[in-house]
Amino acid sequence: MLYFTLRRLYLLSFTLLMLSIVSFSLSYLFPGDIIVNLSGITNPTLEQRIELNALYKMDDSVFHQYFAYIKQVVNGNLGISMFNNAPIVDEMNTYLPATIELCVTALFIATIFGVTLGFIAAIFHNKWIDKIILAFAMIGYSIPAFWLALILIVIFSILLSWFPSSGQINLLFDVKEVTSFIFIDIWFSDIDDKWLAFQDALRHIFLPAITVAVTPMTIFIRLSRTSMLNVLDSNYIKAARAKGLSNVKIIYHHGIRNALVQIIRQMGMHFAHLVSVVMIAEVVFDWQGIGSWLINSIFQRDYTAIQGGLIAMATFTFLINIFADILYVTLNPIERYKRHGA
Amino acid sequence: MNLLDVKNLSIRLTTSLDEILVVDRVSLTLKEGEFRGLVGESGSGKSIFAQALFWLLDDKWTISADRFHWQGQDLLRLPIEERKKIITKDVAMIFQEPMSCLDPTTTIGYQIEEALDDSEFSGFFWQRAKQRKQAAVKLLHKVGIKQHSICINSYPHQLTNALCQRVMIAIALAKRPKLLIADEPTAAMETTNQGQIFRLLSSLNQLKNMSILLISHELEKISHWTDRLTVMYSGQFVEAGTTEQIFKTPFHPYTKALLSSSPKLSKHLAKKTRLETLPGTIPVLQHLPIGCRLGPRCPNAQKHCVTAPQIRNFQGHLVSCHFSHRRDY
Repeated sequence: MLYFTLRRLYLLSFTLLMLSIVSFSLSYLFPGDIIVNLSGITNPTLEQRIELNALYKMDDSVFHQYFAYIKQVVNGNLGISMFNNAPIVDEMNTYLPATIELCVTALFIATIFGVTLGFIAAIFHNKWIDKIILAFAMIGYSIPAFWLALILIVIFSILLSWFPSSGQINLLFDVKEVTSFIFIDIWFSDIDDKWLAFQDALRHIFLPAITVAVTPMTIFIRLSRTSMLNVLDSNYIKAARAKGLSNVKIIYHHGIRNALVQIIRQMGMHFAHLVSVVMIAEVVFDWQGIGSWLINSIFQRDYTAIQGGLIAMATFTFLINIFADILYVTLNPIERYKRHGA
Repeated sequence: MNLLDVKNLSIRLTTSLDEILVVDRVSLTLKEGEFRGLVGESGSGKSIFAQALFWLLDDKWTISADRFHWQGQDLLRLPIEERKKIITKDVAMIFQEPMSCLDPTTTIGYQIEEALDDSEFSGFFWQRAKQRKQAAVKLLHKVGIKQHSICINSYPHQLTNALCQRVMIAIALAKRPKLLIADEPTAAMETTNQGQIFRLLSSLNQLKNMSILLISHELEKISHWTDRLTVMYSGQFVEAGTTEQIFKTPFHPYTKALLSSSPKLSKHLAKKTRLETLPGTIPVLQHLPIGCRLGPRCPNAQKHCVTAPQIRNFQGHLVSCHFSHRRDY
């Protein structure tokens, strides 16, 4: 187990190395002055330029420059935004938590509903319920996220006015930003009606989370259905039937865990897909997250922000992937234990 | 009284193209405490037949029988769920590839405890849990596993194939079955392990008077243990009788060919001589011959063989052939 975790971390360090090389080379590939791209200071004065040249070792070879850049990144200096001169790290501290919140909520919804529906479809294989779930999965998979977002807004915000169409919380609640995770902030804030604020935040996250969750959910439905069908077709289920166990017992004790083990890794893989949907949903729902921030930065040619956003998003996705891998190993004894005498 | 009495059991496989008669009117009668062997080549329908006895097959297969009696009770009159309940209560089954028959993500101990009958234990749940554990350990001892504590906490992939088969037998014994169906229990196992498994089955048969239906394609290997043998070919009943009858006086041309195809120590074979074989191969399921399915390969075949022969009984030696070798002996 420890060995496995170490191996994953080793992989992580290599991926981060590749990522940093890509991010560093961007400052060469983007148009304009390299030192401007790296630091984000447009039109630096002569003194500033000398200072930055020393900081990023611009007089040395590219190799040294790269290490100087890594040193700055590790120290939390990603430069400043070309657009509003705010440090990128501060910007990310405000925007990244909102995205993480949305991602995790959407992933949660997608997993709970996707896996359950998939299992139900597999258990009632070739029955009408299976066909309905499959049809739903097909439709959900084919709907583009931005369109679904607009439809949801029309129905639930405008026609029914059940859920708000934008933002993270009503401005009436004066929640002080500490961690930028809205739910955690509400918990630690000293406002009177915490519970109301909490409900309001939940109502705000509902529509964007649903929008983001639909596509991965349909993928999870198909994954878990196939996996459960495989498991139910296996010899050990047949043997369990011969033992005289009831169907419910077989599925509960032998079906679910084996089916989950097979899909958990693939679910991690599909997280990258979820992140790209999140970026779109953030723009539509005016969600103050890193996705909409990144898209704005792209429009404004804010190269330092693009670099920083790239590093943050990619690292987040890798971490979730590794988390899924570790979860897979903890659930799967075949990976955990060696054979006796082997 | 007969423990199991099945007459003319047929199994059809429905595919998108047509219907295939995979098992064609096979009969089987088992007495209490009998060690019966069911032999046939791969694809002769023996495994399917055994699984059909359990109603373990899925919707693709349709089973029909003229008679299906379990301990004198006519199971065909009962709804299918009832049948399953009665059969799984008294009959246990072990399969080939034991490792794939144990849930890979659950410990051996749990899988054994799961098979135990709940009504045998009493007291509060912690007392019952303890009794269950003791019962599981006892079962492991019965099948000759001494290091029970390691075994109970292990997962199937940590054990060898032979140990997994012992665990499967332990699980089968948990219900104290009257009949144990062993479907090629020693496939892909080393010879020493095979011997151990057979000895274990044989001792269970003798000590507990448990009937055993041993399915195998290795006629020579199992003949040492069995009382009676049933031979199948391509889904059809061929011959049944005591092991001695089958080996000494095989009536059916197929059985005769099967026996003469195996090399014997007593018969001196010159180097690189061919063993005796029947011409041709087993027919594929899509192109089964009508009548006796051995027909095209049979040395005794005549025009009459296109109609399926009736099973004839000669003092407990059953044969299904128009032109049997009965008069040769």
